[in-house]
Amino acid sequence: MIRLNRRNLLKQGSAAVGLAAASSVIGTPLIAQTRTLRVGSYGGYFENSFKEHVFPAFTAATGITVESVTQPNSTDWLVTMQQATAAGSVPTDISLYARDTMIKASRLGGLIKTLDLSKIPASANLDPYFVFDAGEGPLGVGAMSWFTAMVINPTEVTEPPASWAEFWDTSKYEASLGLSKNYNAQFMDITAATFFDGEATFATEEGILAIIAKVAELKPNVALWWSAESQMEQAMKNGDVIGGQYYLDVSNLMASEGFPIKPIFPKEGNPQDYGSWCLAALSDKDAEAAEFMNFSSDPATQALMSRKIGTAPLVAKDKTDLTDDEFGFVSGTPAIKPAYEAYLDKETFMKEAWDKMVAGV
Amino acid sequence: MTATDDTAAWPRETAAAAPGTKGPRAGRSALAVQVVLWATVLVFCLVPLFLVLVISFGHKIEGAGWEWALTLENYQRFFVGANWPAESTSLYLGQLYWSMRYAVVAALLAVVTALPFTYLMTRQSRRAQAVWLVFLLATLSLSEVFIVMGWDIILSNNSGLPMLFAATGLTDWLKDTGWFDVLRDWGLANPRNVKFKPSEVATVLTLSYLVWPYAVILLYPALSRLDPSLAEAARTMGARPWTVARTVILPSVRLPLIGTTLLLFVFLLGAYVAITVFADPSQHTTAVSVYEHVRGSTLNAPFGAAQSVILLVTATAFLVLGQWLTRKSPRAA
Repeated sequence: MIRLNRRNLLKQGSAAVGLAAASSVIGTPLIAQTRTLRVGSYGGYFENSFKEHVFPAFTAATGITVESVTQPNSTDWLVTMQQATAAGSVPTDISLYARDTMIKASRLGGLIKTLDLSKIPASANLDPYFVFDAGEGPLGVGAMSWFTAMVINPTEVTEPPASWAEFWDTSKYEASLGLSKNYNAQFMDITAATFFDGEATFATEEGILAIIAKVAELKPNVALWWSAESQMEQAMKNGDVIGGQYYLDVSNLMASEGFPIKPIFPKEGNPQDYGSWCLAALSDKDAEAAEFMNFSSDPATQALMSRKIGTAPLVAKDKTDLTDDEFGFVSGTPAIKPAYEAYLDKETFMKEAWDKMVAGV
Repeated sequence: MTATDDTAAWPRETAAAAPGTKGPRAGRSALAVQVVLWATVLVFCLVPLFLVLVISFGHKIEGAGWEWALTLENYQRFFVGANWPAESTSLYLGQLYWSMRYAVVAALLAVVTALPFTYLMTRQSRRAQAVWLVFLLATLSLSEVFIVMGWDIILSNNSGLPMLFAATGLTDWLKDTGWFDVLRDWGLANPRNVKFKPSEVATVLTLSYLVWPYAVILLYPALSRLDPSLAEAARTMGARPWTVARTVILPSVRLPLIGTTLLLFVFLLGAYVAITVFADPSQHTTAVSVYEHVRGSTLNAPFGAAQSVILLVTATAFLVLGQWLTRKSPRAA
């Protein structure tokens, strides 16, 4: 067995310069025989759960070893991949992108590869909406879905709100809520579903301004405009806020650890977003990637992710063996579908109008 | 301005060093050092700066990324907003104002509080001074994130000052006396308890705390070189301690004081974590906006770059002003 210390690595490295130059991956000749695949996922608990439960199952099923790559989130990662692609070497084969980021990647061009669905037969299990095609062939296969939910502190809010509209009641929620500061964190979709005509209201600039004006009325009740997920987590734990919007999966996890947080599905519902596996244009792991996406689209894997990571499955519940309780933990109805197209086509207008409202100028 | 000063100082220093060293070999190696220095500056400072400048003229494509171009639209947006001429907004100018305000106030606060501390420190024994300096240097290893996290806990409802207010009955007392409603009007309380974030005070305190060790370390050399006999002489002639501080100590450390303030000011312009955690969105800075545009979902690097350039120009103007003040006053004094 080769002891891997710095000195050895240097020796081996100099001996293998030719090989390394060819494969451009220093230090992997030992496992060159095995098939490998680099897969990105959001860091922290999310990635750890993948490493512990999903990737080993995939390796057991296919013999392909997975190297986990940490993505900070979806949009930051697109910038990283854009720069890496321009530089000619990408840090991962498969990236996990939210739908808006994936559409953006397809519009930027040259970042993600078209997929051959005949090699991914299990993708037929997914609703066609979750297999993204910008017109030149499929670019992303749905991985998992997540909800942004209404959350409350059950010890402070004894009567759970039946509607998002109750958050506008200053006598109950003065300086007590935590909302995302990002214009595209789907609070506009919530407001549109609660007070307007949902996605249709995003069609005109007047509609968008009306939604933003409605959110402005909520400002006296907002104690925290969070930009990082951890800010809202801390604020709920610390009692700085007693309600707001937060991710359903993390909320349920926090609740199961005993923290005072309870996610709720009010009558208008909660926004549902989803992530897709996309293959980097510079990757040559087409075959391995297809096998991974096929594995991930399998109802059994979807159920595994729901149980171990807390994401909602992208296949119908009756295709999985999830119990009602398990399904209720990760999903709910109704689901609000974000106005993705408007967020992209009018992004500068929406961001500036939203930022002006939040800043009060 | 500083750059020209440096280049002017170079030949003089090398000329002064030359008599001590020997022959053309020393001259050649000095030249080599110069070349290396300039190449380093060029590659690591000027090229990135140039890139930012070029990108700031780029054009944003809605719904996608951006492309190279030669447009002033990003600069125009900074002053009037993206919807001009239909409407104009002071959103970005406001952010620039807050950048300057936080940096100036926090830098001054740090210097003003660090000065008496450092002065008293230099009057301690050698050993005590060393301990203090090592301690302060060690605190520099704490990143902004750690410091902000610590202050966040100190100001949080269940773990910090508000908890102390509630536990000691201070919150109830405030409610009884009616002061609580005043605090609610000021945004410093919710119906349940007092709250200290977001607030400008919390932001400025954290920023000051962040640069405080730098202030001490930068002021230390000047203050430790200060001859104690000057102050003693003034005291023997009957000057009160405050008069001694005002007329003897302060004038002799005036230059390091201004220099330190300027350095901390520049350092604070880039503060990000403290602002996002402790400042209300109405008081967010250009640095936050730059980050949101470059790394945020709109991928609007050109507008982020334009904001950076404007921030840089404004900061330079402040520094030139500071230099000018430094130059001007010795003659006056």
